[in-house]
Amino acid sequence: MSKIEALTGNKCAAKGAALCRPDLIAAYPITPQSTVVEGLADMVYGGQLTANMVQVESEHSAMSVVQGGAAAGGRVFTATSAQGLALMYEPYFRMSTLRLPMVMAIATREMTSPESIWSGQQDAMSVRDAGWIQMFCETNQEILDMIIQGYMITEDKRVQIPVNVCYDGFYSSHLVERVEVPEQTDVDAFLPSFSGCAKLDPKMPQALDPLTPGELMLRYRRDHLEAMTAALDVIDEVDEKFAASFGRSYGGTIEEYRMDDAEVVIVTVGGMSGTGKDAVDIARDRGIRAGLLKLRFTRPFPAKRVARALAGKKAFSVIDRSVCFGWETGPMYVETCAALADADDRFCHFSTVGGLGGADISLAHMTSVIDELERLKTEPGRKSTNWLMAD
Amino acid sequence: MSYIDVLKNAPQVMTPGSSACQGCGGELVTRKIMQIAGTNTVFAIPPGCMAGAGVDGWSHSNGCTAPIHITLLDNTASFMSGVSEIYQRTGRTDVNMVAIAGDGATADCGFQSLSGAAERGTRMLYVCYDNEGYMNTGFQRSSTTSLGSRTSTTPAGKAINGKQQNAKYVPLIMAMHNIEYCATASPSNMPDLVAKVQKGLAASKMGFAYIHVFSPCPTGWAYKPDQGIAVARRAVQSNMFPLWECENGKFTLNFKNNSPITMAEFVRGIGKFKALTEVELAALQKCADDRYALIERLAY
Repeated sequence: MSKIEALTGNKCAAKGAALCRPDLIAAYPITPQSTVVEGLADMVYGGQLTANMVQVESEHSAMSVVQGGAAAGGRVFTATSAQGLALMYEPYFRMSTLRLPMVMAIATREMTSPESIWSGQQDAMSVRDAGWIQMFCETNQEILDMIIQGYMITEDKRVQIPVNVCYDGFYSSHLVERVEVPEQTDVDAFLPSFSGCAKLDPKMPQALDPLTPGELMLRYRRDHLEAMTAALDVIDEVDEKFAASFGRSYGGTIEEYRMDDAEVVIVTVGGMSGTGKDAVDIARDRGIRAGLLKLRFTRPFPAKRVARALAGKKAFSVIDRSVCFGWETGPMYVETCAALADADDRFCHFSTVGGLGGADISLAHMTSVIDELERLKTEPGRKSTNWLMAD
Repeated sequence: MSYIDVLKNAPQVMTPGSSACQGCGGELVTRKIMQIAGTNTVFAIPPGCMAGAGVDGWSHSNGCTAPIHITLLDNTASFMSGVSEIYQRTGRTDVNMVAIAGDGATADCGFQSLSGAAERGTRMLYVCYDNEGYMNTGFQRSSTTSLGSRTSTTPAGKAINGKQQNAKYVPLIMAMHNIEYCATASPSNMPDLVAKVQKGLAASKMGFAYIHVFSPCPTGWAYKPDQGIAVARRAVQSNMFPLWECENGKFTLNFKNNSPITMAEFVRGIGKFKALTEVELAALQKCADDRYALIERLAY
C-alpha cells in the first residue's frame, strides 16, 4: 500500500532519501535545493528519521563529510545545485574515484555568469566526466523512485559508483504533483539494509588511497570504466525489480515514447520531456510521425540503446538545457552523435539549445522543433544549432 | 605514568624509515602523537610533509599500522567529521579520531572545514604541525609564516625582503570556537606535549580538541639538522611560541616565562631570518611580547 500525496520535487527527494534509511546526511542550503535538506532536518529533528545529520559550512564539506561517512561504512545522502556542485567538485571527483557508493540529489540550475539562480542543466552536465552515474528525472514521482533505485544501483557490487539523481530546478524542485509514497516496509523489502564494509577500521588497518603510481592508476580507471559499462545492465535490471515491487517502470537508461513508427524524433533530458510528449501527440494529430526519446541516464551514456532506438528514423534533434562549449551545440547532442558514427549519412540532425537560466521550453518550442525536423527529414546531414530564443 | 614510560611502552605506529628530512620536527611530533593515540585510531593526514614522507603509505606499502587516509589538502576536518559520525552512531566510541595536518592544510585552504568541524563540536583530535609554510612543495609562504621569513614565494629580494606580514595566530582562533580542548605544544617540552596529546584524546570523546605544535623545519628554515630541538626551545623561551592550554574556556599558561630571551637570540642560526632588518626584528619582538602578554591576561 502506498499513500497519495501532493509533493514538490524537493519533498520527493527528501522523502525518497528518508525511506532508504541513511546513516548520515550532510546539509548545506542552496537555491533551489534547500528544501531537500530542510525536509530531512524536519524529519530528523521531529524524530521520524534516526539519521545522523551534519549541518556543514559549505558544499565542499558536505561532500567531505559524507565521504568520511561512506569510508566508515555508512549509507549517506546529500543534495546540491549549481555553485554548490562546483564548490564540491574536488571531493565530488574523489567520491567516485574512491568508488564509494552514495546518492546525491541535484536540483539542476544554471551556472553563473551571467548571475542566475534559475533552472538549467549546465551544473550537472559540466561534471559529467567526474566518474558519477547521472540520471535525470521527468516527474516528481520519478525523483522519489529514482532515489530508492539509486541506492540499489550504487550499492550493487558490480557498480560501486555514486549516483546523481538530477531534476530541473524550480520546474521540478518547486512544483507540486501527485505522488504515490511507498510504505517504509515495502522499501525495506526492496532495498536491503546497507552492509558497506568500512574502509577505515582499526579491525582491519589499511591505508585508504595511498600515493599511487601510474601503472596502478590505469587499472583503477579501467575498472571504473568497466563498472560504468556494467551499470548499464544493472540500471535496467533494477528498473524491472522496482516495477515488480511497486508497479512503476521507467524503461531503465532510456524511455521511448511513440517511437515505433516515428520518422522524426526529439531527444529530451529531464522535465522538458513532458512538454515534448504533448508536442509529439499534437504533431501526430497533424499527421507528422513524431516520436520522443528520453535520455534518462547520461552517465553511463546508453549509446547502444540510443542507436537502436534511432535506427531507421529520418531526423532527430537533441534538446539540451545546457551548452557544450567548443562544439556550438548542446552536450547531449554531441554524445548522441557520438553514438551514431554515420549520422550524417543516415539522418537529418541538429542540436537544439533552450531553457537556459530558467527560460521556459514551451509547447510551441517543442512543436517548432518537430516541424523543422519534418521539413528537413529528406535532407540527411548536420544542420546548424537551433536556439530556442523566444516563442 | 611518566612521559618517558608512556613513550617507552607504546609501540610505534608510524613505519620506521620514513623519508622525512633529517632532523624533521614534524616527523618527531607525528611519530609521538601516533604512538600515544595507538592503533585503535583512525588517522587522517592530508598532503604535506608527513604524507610526502610516506606516513599515508605508498603503492602497496602502508606507512603505519593503523587505518589511515590521505585526505584532500582542504577537507581533513570535514572528512573526519563523517568518519566520526559513523563511529558514534555504531557505538564504537573507543576508536580515536585523529587528524595530523600541516599549517597549509590547517590555517589556509583547510581552515574553513576546520572551523566548521570545531564549531559543530565534532568528536576528534586535530593536531597541526606548524612548520610555517608549504615545506613539502618547496618552502612557500603560508599564513603562519613569521614576518621577515625568506620563503620561495617571499624571497629576500632587493625590492621586498621576505614575508611582509605577521603570522596568523591559529591556536587562539581555535580556542574562540568554544571547543572542548585547545593547546599549544613544542617538541622541546616533551612532558608537556605528551600530557596535552593525552588530554586532547580524552577531550575528543566529548567534543573537538585542537593542538597546535611548533615544528621547526631544518630544510626549509635553513638551520643545522641537529639544532631542531634547540630552535624549538628558543621559540618557547623567547615567547615567540608560548605554551598554553584552554580547557572548557579556562586558559592556563603552562610555561611562565619571567626572563624571556630576545627574538635576536631566537633567530640566530636560522637561515630564513638571515636578511632580517632591524625594523623587522623589532616587529617580530613586538609580536612575541604582545602575544605573551595577551595569553598571560587570558590565563589570569
